This record gives sequence, C-alpha cells and structure tokens, in this order.
Amino acid sequence: MRILVIEDDNATADYIAKGFLQDGQVVDIARNGRDGMFLALNEPFDVVITDRMLPGADGLAIIRAMRGSNIATPVLMLTALGEVERRVEGLEAGADDYLPKPFAFSELRARVRALARRPPPAAMADTMLLAGDIRMDLLARIVTRGARVVELLPTEWRLLEYMLRHKGQVLTRTMLLEKVWDFAFDPTTNVVDVHVSRLRRKLEGPGEKPVIRTLRGAGYALDSGA
Amino acid sequence: MPRSFAWRMAAAAAAAMLLVSLATGAWVWWQAEASLRSQLDRALAAEAESLLRDLEPYGMQGLAEQVELTRRRRGPVLALLQAPGGQIIAGAMPAAPPFLRGYATLEAPGRSLRALGLVLPGGVNLIVAGDLATVEQSAAALARSPPIAALVAAAFALLLGLLAARRLEVRLAQSGAAARAIMDGDLTRRLPGNPEGDEFDRLGATINLLLGRIEALVAAQRQVTDDIAHDLRTPLSHLRQRLEAAAAAPRTDPALIEAAIGDLDAVLASFAALLRIARVESGAGRAGFAAVDLSALASMMAETYGAVAEEAGRALEAHIAPGVVVQGDAALLRQALANLLDNAMLHGAGVVRLKLSHGGALMVADDGPGIPQGERDAVLRRFHRLQAAQGRPGSGLGLALVAATARMHGARLVLGGEQGLEVRLEF
Repeated sequence: MRILVIEDDNATADYIAKGFLQDGQVVDIARNGRDGMFLALNEPFDVVITDRMLPGADGLAIIRAMRGSNIATPVLMLTALGEVERRVEGLEAGADDYLPKPFAFSELRARVRALARRPPPAAMADTMLLAGDIRMDLLARIVTRGARVVELLPTEWRLLEYMLRHKGQVLTRTMLLEKVWDFAFDPTTNVVDVHVSRLRRKLEGPGEKPVIRTLRGAGYALDSGA
Repeated sequence: MPRSFAWRMAAAAAAAMLLVSLATGAWVWWQAEASLRSQLDRALAAEAESLLRDLEPYGMQGLAEQVELTRRRRGPVLALLQAPGGQIIAGAMPAAPPFLRGYATLEAPGRSLRALGLVLPGGVNLIVAGDLATVEQSAAALARSPPIAALVAAAFALLLGLLAARRLEVRLAQSGAAARAIMDGDLTRRLPGNPEGDEFDRLGATINLLLGRIEALVAAQRQVTDDIAHDLRTPLSHLRQRLEAAAAAPRTDPALIEAAIGDLDAVLASFAALLRIARVESGAGRAGFAAVDLSALASMMAETYGAVAEEAGRALEAHIAPGVVVQGDAALLRQALANLLDNAMLHGAGVVRLKLSHGGALMVADDGPGIPQGERDAVLRRFHRLQAAQGRPGSGLGLALVAATARMHGARLVLGGEQGLEVRLEF
C-alpha cells in the first residue's frame, strides 16, 4: 500500500511515517501544501493523509483539487483538537474520513486500512452482504447464519452491516461510534461494547464458531471467512 | 462650542425660515401693491363720478365749486379742473399735466400720484388723483410682518438648538464615559438610559444588550481559561508523577506508560469537551441549524441506552411522541441526550425514564440519589462534581455541555425530581 502523508509538523509526519513503515507500507511525506498538492495530483497513492491547516495550500484545497481532477483516492483529514464541528466541512469537500489530533497510531492505522480496502463504488449497490455463513439481505431485510434467521434490532442491524462492509478489518470503538451511531464524542458508558456483545450473542449460537474478535485496546473485527 | 448636530440643524432651520419668509414678504408686497393700486383706481373713479354728479344740476360753475371744496378739505383726494388750454379753473395738483385722459402716474417732487383724467363737454379737463405713498406704505407694512415673525422664530430656533446641543452633549458625554470605562476593562458598565425613554434611550438599551452579550462571551472565555488552569492541572500533575516514576524505574514498565497514556487521554478528552462547550456557548454553530427529527433521535438513543441499561441489570423506559421536529444541531442534541443518559446510568439508580412529549419537552429521569436543591445550579457549571461522584468516571463537563446546548437552542433546562433526578429540556 502506498500512502501519501501531507503534514507540516515534522514530528507528527515522522511519527505517522514510522508507524506505517513498520507495518510494511510505502510512505511519501510532503511537508507543505504545495508539494502535497503536486504529489497527490501526479502520483498514484492508495490513501492520502493530509493535515487540514498547511502552509501553501490547505487540506481542503488539496482535496478539492484532487476531486476536481477525478482522482478518487481516499483521503483522511487530520485536524486540531476541538474542531469536530469542521468535520462536515471536510467531508463536504470530499474527504472520506476525519481524525482529530492527537490520535493513537492504532486508530489512524485502522482508519487508513478501512479506507484503502473500501469496496469500489459499484459494490455499494450490493443487495447481499456475506461473511462466511452470515448473509445479510439488504432488500428483504433478513440476516441469516447458516439456515438460522437472526433477529436484529435497528442498531444491531446497522452495526452488523458496517462490520460486514469492512469484514476482516480492525474497527476501533471511535470508528463504530462515528459510523454506526453518528456520535462525534466518546460516551462515558460502554455503548459500543454492550452492543457488540449483544450482536455477538445473537450471531454466535451454541455450537457455532465465533465471528467477532475483540482486539484488546484496539477494537473489534468481523472474521471475513467465519 | 464644538461642532454639534443639534446646533447645526437649528441654524439651518433658522436660515431656511428667514429665506422663506423673505420670499413670502416679497410676494405679499407685490400682491398687496397691485391690489391696493386697483383699489385706488376704483376709488378715483368713484370720486370723479361723485364730482360729475354736480355737473348736471349746477353746471360747470357747480363742479368748479365742488373741486375747490375738495382742495380745501385737504383730504387724501386731490382734484383739478382745467380749461382746454391748461389754465386752472379750480383745485390744485402738483405736477399736473396740461391735459390728461385716462389713468396715469404723476411724479411730483417728493411724492407719486395716481391720477384719472376725464374730458368734459367744451374740452374742460377734470383730473382726480390720490397719493401712491399710502399704497406703498400699506404694502410694505403687510410685507414686513412675515420676515419679522420669522426673525423671532429663528431666534427661538437657535436658542432651542443651543439647548438641545447642550443636552445632547451631556447625554453623549455620559455614554462616552461609560464606553471609555468599558474599554478600560470594566465590562459591567452600561450606558445610562431610561427604559421608557426616547430614541437615544432605546439605542442605549440595544447597545446595552450588545454589551451584555460581549460581557458574557468574555466571561465565558475567561472561564474556559480559568477552568483549564485549575482543573486540568490536577490530572496533568498526576501524569507528570507517573512519568517521573516511569523514568526512575530500572526497566520500562508498559503498565506505567499505558496508565500515563490513559491520564493524557482523559486530559485531552476534557480539553476537547471544554473547547466544544466554549464553541457552543459562543453560538457559532447556530448558522448550521436544520430541522431535526427529535422523535427519531430519541428513539435511537432509547434503543442504544436500553441495551446498556439491560446489561447493567437495570431498565430504560421510553415514551416518545412521534413526529416532534425542532430546529437545531443534531450532533449536539445527540451528545446532550447521551450525556444525560450516561449520567443516569453512572450516577443514578433504578429505572431510567426517557420521555419526549408532543410539545417538545425531552425528559430523562432516574431513581438515584438525585442532586441536592442547593447544587442544582452549580452542576451546570464546568467541572462541578458532586461529592458523591468523586472517584466515578466522568469529567464534570457533561451537564455543562447540556446547559450550553440548551441555551444555544433556546430551550429551557430544568433540573427537578423529588426522588432521583429529573432533567427536562423544553424546546
């Protein structure tokens, strides 16, 4: 995977690059907006990570330029703490995800992987999501595991749908809160854990193989071939 | 005296008044003169007629006597009877021409006369005349009154302008003094004014509202700074101690480092929450308000927290009226409701009740210990935590955000409940 990091703070840029290099990825770093814009428009990348505030061209301008040139490369935008309200602005400009600084590297890695492996747009029109013997029929609104029908509440449905669309990937609590609940904050109660464990109980009947893995300190993952 | 609006207006009004009155005077003079002249002409004709009335019965001799009588009377009317050659038969008239038929103006030394001449049988010429000076004097007297009245009025206007300028100067000086005091840092100062007063008072009242808003914003800003200074110092000190312990340890202890990261995350979370509250309180997001389906939002939260309550061995009862829509920020409303439900789960006890009425009142209640009457205002402030909540998770910012969100949405936030806590948000 080839990743472009556009970040004017050297320490942050190096921290991100080091993490992905250890992960076995190829990382290009641009330390100002102009270089970042040039690279993003002229080189092929799997994911672009850009800061919002940059000298030269800012993150929003880079994303707009990319989308204007029909470059669909997923973009994750980094922003200063407390700018949660700006999230909409970034997403409207064409960013695919948004992460406030400071962040844990594991969070960034999970999000970048989710972006890079995002199914192509055509697959979004799928009417059937599969993972092993779990089938979600989006038209009939039925979930089955093997021959067994699994009854889900709306929230559990949204949770499973999101996990199926990102099967095999690490999904952090923050990602789940944002994508499933639309929570741009971290509730004090263990909302995510409660719902994942309820979903797990419904999916994993007696004698059935576990399908949702808990990754300590990182999040959850749905086994792709369960 | 410095330049003054009131004084300038009064002077302009006075000048305009004088100008208009001069024009009026000229017009009056012209009209009066013309009217009086034709009156004089008619009077001369009448006089001539009355003299001629004597011609029939008494002949030329009688007429001559009448003319002579007129001269002796020394009245305003002069009469003269002349023979065809211009020799005077009777009467007297200065600057009389030897022959006159019809109207004419005669210029005698020192006076102007209006004269009417008639030709009688035998070529005798009768002339009657009146002094034009009386016409001029009357017209001038009439024309003089408007400018005199205007002069008096203008003087009054200037006097009033002077007084108004003085009064304005005093009032503006008071406002200026208040403004300078505010600039010097006394944000509690307000412009003087009477709530039932004139337009200046009304303007002052509006500016006072503005000043109140600025004071509140500055106070909020100061509050955030103070809060950060006071309440983040403790967790940051803990973090420092942990890091010192880690540095002093002979081997790297992952548990210590992880605990330090946990401390730091808590500080960052508080920091983010503070910034969020500050932003909400500034009202900056109000431009992005949209219609929010509060019923759908509450139902989703009921389902989410219903599961949390069940897992904790408790229950959540939801009564949600359908179709309640408010103008607002969905993300903030979701967080505010989540904060209330989090509080009910963490600090409350028993059944958690979530209710949304048709009228748009959102209520979260529980059977826990509640909040003592005296502390119900305090808990809405940043970092205020009840003694009982010490040691439990939470930053003390949850209700502060709820309060800020309520204010931003123009909703009333009521903390009630006889047993347990009942929080109502009335939209």
